[in-house]
Amino acid sequence: MAVMDLNPLWISLKTALVATAITFILGIIVARWMAGREFKGKSLLDGIFILPLVLPPTVVGFILLWILGRNGWLGSFFFEIGRPVVFSWSATVIAAAVVSFPLMYQTARGAFEQIDANIEDAARTLGASEGTVFWRITIPMAWPGIAAGTILAFARSLGEFGATLMLAGNIPGRTQTIPVAIYFLVEGGKQQQALIWVMVILLISFASIVALNYWKKYQRRFSSRLVREVTADS
Amino acid sequence: MAILGPSGCGKTMTLKCIAGLMTPNQGSIILDKQVLYDSQQRINLPARERKIGFLFQNYALFPHLTVHENIAFGIRQLPVAQRNERVQQLLGKMRLDRFGHRYPVELSGGQQQRVALARAMAPEPEVLLLDEPFSALDTQVKEQLEAELLEIQSDFQGHVLFVTHNLAEAYRLSSKMAVYETGGLLQWGERQTIIERPVNEKVARLTGMENIFDGIVSGIEGSRVDIRLGTGYLSLYPDNLNRLVVNQEISIAIRPEYVKLADSQDKNCLTAELIDGKEELSFYSYTFQFQEGTNIKVHISKSAGPGLENGNTYRLYLPSENLVILGE
Repeated sequence: MAVMDLNPLWISLKTALVATAITFILGIIVARWMAGREFKGKSLLDGIFILPLVLPPTVVGFILLWILGRNGWLGSFFFEIGRPVVFSWSATVIAAAVVSFPLMYQTARGAFEQIDANIEDAARTLGASEGTVFWRITIPMAWPGIAAGTILAFARSLGEFGATLMLAGNIPGRTQTIPVAIYFLVEGGKQQQALIWVMVILLISFASIVALNYWKKYQRRFSSRLVREVTADS
Repeated sequence: MAILGPSGCGKTMTLKCIAGLMTPNQGSIILDKQVLYDSQQRINLPARERKIGFLFQNYALFPHLTVHENIAFGIRQLPVAQRNERVQQLLGKMRLDRFGHRYPVELSGGQQQRVALARAMAPEPEVLLLDEPFSALDTQVKEQLEAELLEIQSDFQGHVLFVTHNLAEAYRLSSKMAVYETGGLLQWGERQTIIERPVNEKVARLTGMENIFDGIVSGIEGSRVDIRLGTGYLSLYPDNLNRLVVNQEISIAIRPEYVKLADSQDKNCLTAELIDGKEELSFYSYTFQFQEGTNIKVHISKSAGPGLENGNTYRLYLPSENLVILGE
């Protein structure tokens, strides 16, 4: 094989990066919003946010098709304005973002909930506005968790297959990501080419996990703080 | 000023309401004529505008910032030079000079406490609120910190309000005390008044006035009230007589350290049998029993002589000025 088509790599990376950026922002906003609140139906809402993680990707793909397809309530709008979602590059991003969102959301929410509310209150008594509290205290303290969530979300985006195939299809040079390429290469009997992509995915995923472990160590440095028992008073 | 009360009675909640970290259901919070909160006028100043320093029970230091950065947090609007000068000054005061670059996790409990105090003091608040400031520390560190706190209090212009469940601590560190119990404020006043003239049984119990007896008013003569207690009689001179009538059932109380062994007195003496004696650090703690079965606790200084023997009968003197009539 003289020249290899590198498009799947670029598409995969581009998709994973954009999807991660989306889940990063959405995940933090939703996680922060959910962490500081108690309301009726919270666990139901939480369940909906987590659902893409437990559902088979094909089911997620099916639901996305149903919403974003030509006859879907959102899809028909995009079709009207001449930018159909299905089988476009944005479809790969949407599929990746939806399946990786729960990882970002869950990890970030855990990080927010671990923060001692007194620490944020302390900042408030020291004249900090809500914005200052969030950017100077909450985010830095939750950062190890957020970073871990980001890496997990990135790895998940990169590996997304089922929903991507359902929503974006397999269009070389446009929607064909590495996992999709591997599937069709193997199906076409091109084991060796598939193996190369397998190696690439292995490399990126392994690097992500190593990075994640590094962050966990960093996080432990923080969480060992102030774990002194204090006689409880309400 | 101190707020004294058992765990879970709303002391911490009171502090948080004052600081603006919690919103009360109703009422108002006024500090030196400035309204911080008023449910009717719908005033609720946010915490950041109240100029109130808060020392949290678990210190709540910022774990991702160094000691220096922690202390500087409340004065971030100051120019760098001025800010650093203030932080250095506080570090010196708190004997933390060498720790400015460290992270909270690298400090001992006492040091963390001092950082938290320095951080709260940095913006020169008008009020300093301390939530169980010493509960997590061992005795030695605690004594040292108490001394430091008293020193700070003396050159701090604002008010200091602190919450504790420890009576001795509250007494040592404050001039005025508020006694809380679940449901609200029981009594508030000078510390001496709280200790010696509790308004009711709850306050008496919370402030260590362990001897509470049921008696009957047997006579009122001028400012003197005679009370029948089992087979004995006690006289006292209460601050106000308004509500007392002859034959009324009342509760009277006396602190264990005010009961003495009678030597020559004949008034205000009761006979009781010693049933239990414990030796404390600086005094003997005795439990006597009256003929009718009620117990009385007595603390007698060790300097007053050797211990007494169980089973013997003694005459106890209850000075009238130390006896209190408790309200409902």
